[in-house]
Amino acid sequence: MYDFHNIALTPTQSLLLNIAILSVIVFAVLRSERRLDDSNPLLMLGILAIFGISGRILLDPLPNFQPVTVIVILAGVYYGAPRAIALAGVIALTTNFVVLGHGPWTLFQVLGWGLVGASGAYFSDYILKEGQLMLNRLAALAIISAFVFNWIVSLSILLKTDASMLAPYLINGLLFDLYHAAGNLIFVAWLATPLSEIMTKHLDTSSSKAVSEPVSSTL
Amino acid sequence: MSKIPMSNELKPISVIAVIALILLAPSIRDALREEAATYVSDSESSHDGLPESWNNSQVMCVMFPSDTPHPKFNSGVTMIESDGSTYGANSEFNGTGVCVGGFTGFTEGMTFFLNSTNATNGDLDVSYDVTEWGPYVHTIGGLNANELTGNFSGAYWELLHNGEISMVGIGDLIMSEGDVLLWRIATW
Repeated sequence: MYDFHNIALTPTQSLLLNIAILSVIVFAVLRSERRLDDSNPLLMLGILAIFGISGRILLDPLPNFQPVTVIVILAGVYYGAPRAIALAGVIALTTNFVVLGHGPWTLFQVLGWGLVGASGAYFSDYILKEGQLMLNRLAALAIISAFVFNWIVSLSILLKTDASMLAPYLINGLLFDLYHAAGNLIFVAWLATPLSEIMTKHLDTSSSKAVSEPVSSTL
Repeated sequence: MSKIPMSNELKPISVIAVIALILLAPSIRDALREEAATYVSDSESSHDGLPESWNNSQVMCVMFPSDTPHPKFNSGVTMIESDGSTYGANSEFNGTGVCVGGFTGFTEGMTFFLNSTNATNGDLDVSYDVTEWGPYVHTIGGLNANELTGNFSGAYWELLHNGEISMVGIGDLIMSEGDVLLWRIATW
């Protein structure tokens, strides 16, 4: 048989390929969103999950550069903590299980992103003023979340080493915390406004701001 | 986009921040790893079982799994001096392998690793892949960790620095006097 798929790509080529694929996904999702019924936050959460999962997998070659943290914060701001935590769990489990590697650290990632989503919900009134997204405040929360999330995930090394190794581990990891923070800033600057526009369209009709009711009541 | 005026200044700021970070990354990394190295305690116990004359010198040990021992270093742990002469073997260790010691003055882990393995006159040949994260050592003393099979998903050569799992790869490791490096097979 012909071996057409056995093409060796350099890391840069495969990254460009991944970014192209991600662009197609983002474009298709944005187009399909227009045909959705309004006021359907669960479908919107599905779209956010597709964004997060494909973004995290395809941007894997770039260290710590992925849209999940910002997406989870926005989900918390618009849809409340329970749904943001559920979204965090789905994205972390799916990406790790399918591609990136599943292990004890997945639990720490779910906890980290869950806390990030809950903080988005907590600061919802502060970030979303009269339907307007306060981008600078969102950017500040996204940058802080990068460090908090990374440090929570770093705690997973305690399963294998003792606490004395935590300090050098965190210090060595600071550069990766900075990568994560810079990536979050990029996603807030370029992605938050279009995302917030479509998320505003799919808020619950029953309430104009972040929901406090449990997910199950709308299923 | 007059609705959200702040977005206009955030876009250039975000791009500038990323470019600045990419440019500064190498110097940030060097500063951080030197800072982190000060937290790695020079555990006295990492010299336990080694010749007393090596107490203040740098040592590199390789431990082999019982299923796949080294053809030459298969009884106790053989102690080899930096000039290549064999000091003897200590049979009180758990497992078999080799330690090469009596070195001073090395600061870079990879340089020390290559020099110390060279001192064994070819008994510890080393192979590694060059990755964007630095060198990935897959073979020491003819044992390729990538080819090990068993009741595990995969195996790799794990690096211990003064008795603790190293926080960085051998290519990023900063050494001080009296440091003991140890390689052993770990699985996941």
